[in-house]
Amino acid sequence: MSAPLLEVKNLRTYFKTRNGTVKAVNDVSYSIERGRTLGIVGESGSGKSVSAMSILRLLDANGYIADGTVTFDGRDLATLSTQEMYHIRGNRISVIFQEPMTSLNPVFTIKKQLSEPFIIHQGMSKKEAAEKSVEMLRSVQIPNPEAVARQYPHQLSGGMRQRVMIAMALSCKPDILIADEPTTALDVTVQAQILRLMNEMQKENGTAIMFITHDLGVINEMADDVVVMYCGQVVEQAPASLIFADCEQSHPYTEGLMFSIPRLNDDRSKLDPIPGAVPHPLDLPKGCKFAPRCKYCTQKCIDEEPKLEKVADGQLVRCFYPSKSERRSPSHGEITVNN
Amino acid sequence: MGKYILKRLGYMVIVMLILSFLMFLVYTMIPFDRAVVEADKFKAGYKNAPNSGELYEQKVEELRRELGTDQNIIVRYLGWLGVMPINGTYQGILQGDFGTSYSNNNQPAQEVLKEPMKNTVFINIFATVLALGITIPLGIFCAVHRGGKRDTAIQVATIVGYSIPMFIIAIVFIWLFAVELKWFPVSGMKTPGSNYTGFKAFTDKLYYMCLPLLAMTFASLGSMTRYVRASMTEALSLDCIRTARAKGLREKVVVYSHAWRNALIPIITLVIGWFIGIFSGSIMIENIFGLNGVGRTYILCLNNKDFEVVLLLQMFYVIIGLVGNLITDLAYGLADPRVRVNK
Repeated sequence: MSAPLLEVKNLRTYFKTRNGTVKAVNDVSYSIERGRTLGIVGESGSGKSVSAMSILRLLDANGYIADGTVTFDGRDLATLSTQEMYHIRGNRISVIFQEPMTSLNPVFTIKKQLSEPFIIHQGMSKKEAAEKSVEMLRSVQIPNPEAVARQYPHQLSGGMRQRVMIAMALSCKPDILIADEPTTALDVTVQAQILRLMNEMQKENGTAIMFITHDLGVINEMADDVVVMYCGQVVEQAPASLIFADCEQSHPYTEGLMFSIPRLNDDRSKLDPIPGAVPHPLDLPKGCKFAPRCKYCTQKCIDEEPKLEKVADGQLVRCFYPSKSERRSPSHGEITVNN
Repeated sequence: MGKYILKRLGYMVIVMLILSFLMFLVYTMIPFDRAVVEADKFKAGYKNAPNSGELYEQKVEELRRELGTDQNIIVRYLGWLGVMPINGTYQGILQGDFGTSYSNNNQPAQEVLKEPMKNTVFINIFATVLALGITIPLGIFCAVHRGGKRDTAIQVATIVGYSIPMFIIAIVFIWLFAVELKWFPVSGMKTPGSNYTGFKAFTDKLYYMCLPLLAMTFASLGSMTRYVRASMTEALSLDCIRTARAKGLREKVVVYSHAWRNALIPIITLVIGWFIGIFSGSIMIENIFGLNGVGRTYILCLNNKDFEVVLLLQMFYVIIGLVGNLITDLAYGLADPRVRVNK
């Protein structure tokens, strides 16, 4: 197998704060193949967006990459100069952000904002770029693109703005598209349209997509591979086909996420949410980070931290008890601490 | 857009009429009678007449009639505006008669203000441009390097500058640059006894204006820098700045184009408001440095009870304020498409 397009290895991204160092991303590894979609799932604050922003080196001033490598197309992005990074951003790796309402600059026209990537990355003239941007708007199925190009972001709806964001991100036919919760702020019908659009664009250009979300339904629809993150760590990594099938082994957190989705063919009268909340990043548990919320937690989980280990072909799980049948058995119930 | 401006101008006329009446009312209510002052000049001539008191009273009455001050307030106001005749003639603002300056050899009021106005506008534009030229780059620099050592140092300096009133700065500057270092003259507008013309006169004036300009600029540095820094910091934290960076734009373009255009919106209000405020702020500087400006003329005329000049100047301040407001609103629309008027 050839080297993956993008490989994140042992990445650690820390933030210096007044109260101490927050380890937002703590030893995370994953890789993306050309033309495939990697889904990154996790609750808010699990470090999924930060790991993506670390790839582009677009962290806030107090954030820094403490350790690890990000290899893109054979080159380590951490060693590139600022000039070389400018060439990567928006050209070879581009991003769609979560908030379509605020991600576009309110004081510039759509045309100006869409033209910028063409001008800086492809050396087009203003006029050529303007024509290209109208073309891009048409390709993301915006009706009446000539008129929309002359408008300002506040004159467009959320769905339209997200289409503009997609058009902007795809303008230079990037190798990787990082979609950071692109549909979270949109209503469901628009969400489906946007997802379909992204799928079409992917087929057309062979773009690899890194899809960050907390919505497992969307992951099921989009992703080929799934990475589940919790407290800055990868807790499970598996092909989507395996995770969404009722597989033999999984992380209790993934299991919990699955249980908290409502299903049509459900005979449960209530959903089973995961109890508790994500621990504070400055006050993480010593052992397994998920232990305080895990219903299968044992004394060993509290004292020791499990490693991410291979449990099946292509599946990695960070748990002492990856087997579902084993941990649900009555004998396991005798050693649990939480219930 | 044109309709909007016309509407605003219409409102402005109404506001000006109301304010002019209120101000006219205030200045007429001051217990001071111009006729008595003028009649006093004739008092000596009546001294030897047996009915001197009677003659004096008659003169006062006659002068009151002449000045129109015997009429009621409404008639006098309308006469001042020029829409109603006083003593059979229309003599008011609408006829180009802005009043008389009694303390300046009965010159027309606008003539008295001509030269000071030139000086004041010159000082203010110069000080504004100078201050903006320093504070905008400095504020942006601070916002970009927020939290760094240089930013902290500048923040401390601006707090100090912000806390010291302008007249203290002026006096310290006089002591330092004029008395101790002898770089600039202490006060005045030109070298006494000199008779320069053309370019020489201009450089001489500039030399005298240097110190007041420095003091004025320096006094505004603190607050302006802090303001630019604050709005720039806010602009830099917008989501769209992250998008701009992710697009691959150079940091310079991100800061000076994307962030600056967003920071500009609150700054415009401040700059125009500040420019208006400077006209009254220069009263202090003009008095300290003995500059022949509008502010100093204003105080002199008030002291000399030269109320027709004061009233005219007051109206000037009102117009500056109203026009400034209109310009602020229009500039706002230019900077921010979300508030642009489409009607």
